[in-house]
Amino acid sequence: METADVVIIGGGVIGTSIAYRLAANRKVMLIEKGEIGAQTSGACDKAIFLQSKKPGFPIKLAKASRMVYENLEEELGMNIEFQKNGGMIVIENESHLDFMKQFVKQQNKAGIHVKLVNQKEALAFQPCLSTTIAGATYSPEDAEVNPLLLTQAFAKAVKRKGVIIRRHTEVTDIVIENGKVVAVQTAKGKIATELVINAAGPFAPKIAEMVGIGLPIMPRRGVILISEKVKPMIHGNILCSQYIATKHLSHQTDDTSYGVGLSLGQTESGNLLIGGNREFKGYDKSVEPEVLSAIARHARRIAPSLDFIRIIRTMVGFRPFTNDGLPIISEAPHVKGFIIAAGHEGDGIALAPITGLLVASLVDRDLRYKEFLDQLKLDRFRAYNVSPN
Amino acid sequence: MIQNMLICRCEEVLLADIVASIENGAGTLKAIKMETRAGMGICQGRTCRMLLEQVMDFHTDINVQEANNLSYNNPVRPISLANLSRSGKDSEP
Repeated sequence: METADVVIIGGGVIGTSIAYRLAANRKVMLIEKGEIGAQTSGACDKAIFLQSKKPGFPIKLAKASRMVYENLEEELGMNIEFQKNGGMIVIENESHLDFMKQFVKQQNKAGIHVKLVNQKEALAFQPCLSTTIAGATYSPEDAEVNPLLLTQAFAKAVKRKGVIIRRHTEVTDIVIENGKVVAVQTAKGKIATELVINAAGPFAPKIAEMVGIGLPIMPRRGVILISEKVKPMIHGNILCSQYIATKHLSHQTDDTSYGVGLSLGQTESGNLLIGGNREFKGYDKSVEPEVLSAIARHARRIAPSLDFIRIIRTMVGFRPFTNDGLPIISEAPHVKGFIIAAGHEGDGIALAPITGLLVASLVDRDLRYKEFLDQLKLDRFRAYNVSPN
Repeated sequence: MIQNMLICRCEEVLLADIVASIENGAGTLKAIKMETRAGMGICQGRTCRMLLEQVMDFHTDINVQEANNLSYNNPVRPISLANLSRSGKDSEP
């Protein structure tokens, strides 16, 4: 039987980031049921937004992660298209203006540089926007990264560090003896280990069930339209105030709007990524055409100059939703050797760098990130033993 | 040089890039696509998909049927954002 000090389940941006931090002095195996970074981490936008995070702890966490990004390209030794181009939240109509003024005040208090700009200033920075918008907020601290390259960069770096990556390998069971993890059973053999990290994102509840834990994580489906390559026309990333409202206010999806909120960015190769929406549809990937139209309609209302750009593909991803908008980075309460690192919803790209460090700190039992880890424990959800599905 | 043969013309991916990706461990078309961008362009693999299968068949003993795990997503042909916005059942006229 193969043995490992740690088995990480999930080869997305979270799992590979964790592997990178754990690989220094351990034998690490990373198990992925499909391809590296091909599910949630490969079907998302490219924004590292700070200004959109909730004040208080979520901003603190996002800032710590953003700090790691500063040197990440150098650390991983690969271009990940990290750009500090700032970000904008478009305020589509006057009715959102008060809410967004309040939002800016809050964010400034939380130490984020964000300011309200009028329509003219917004259009000067982003000429693609409609002359009917009420204004926007702008922050120079928002950045962007290519999520595909990010996950690949982590994966390549961990291979160099000796991590064994098993693709196309599904975990079928986790073997427990006397309340302790002793092995991971996969479709291709058993691995003896005393430590398992569940980094399976939206599929984390299925892995946790194998050790009798119900995780309060639900798959929330998001769709993004991908355009043909066009000349550079978007500076940094654009969200709309509806997106902020959808992210922070509503847990339920309004049936008629399909939970649509604009997220717009352009990759270095020239493709536009036009999102998006948030819907609870289980693990169903078949998106109704109405959803695509609703996203397109919303995008062209805010950016009419996109009208004649051709959409060549759509991508669908499941974001691992938790009801307080924060991930779970925690040891399991009743099982020794089982760590959960999932539930980042739409912040997985923004929070991947810090997540690796947090899990390493948890495994090493040092107190470097105690302040963070205390807020990300599983037992903050009272009914954690009841699966939401 | 045959290695300079263009496999994916939309993303300008050479045969050499595809072979390097396979040698690096990519065992499926999706893995090759994510690493090299082959099939990510405007034709969405209509031209290169067959070629990729052939390269795979030539360079590995992987079953090509199993290795083709690329998914087909809407839209099936490029469509302008304006037309897409009008295509749903409940959209405004």
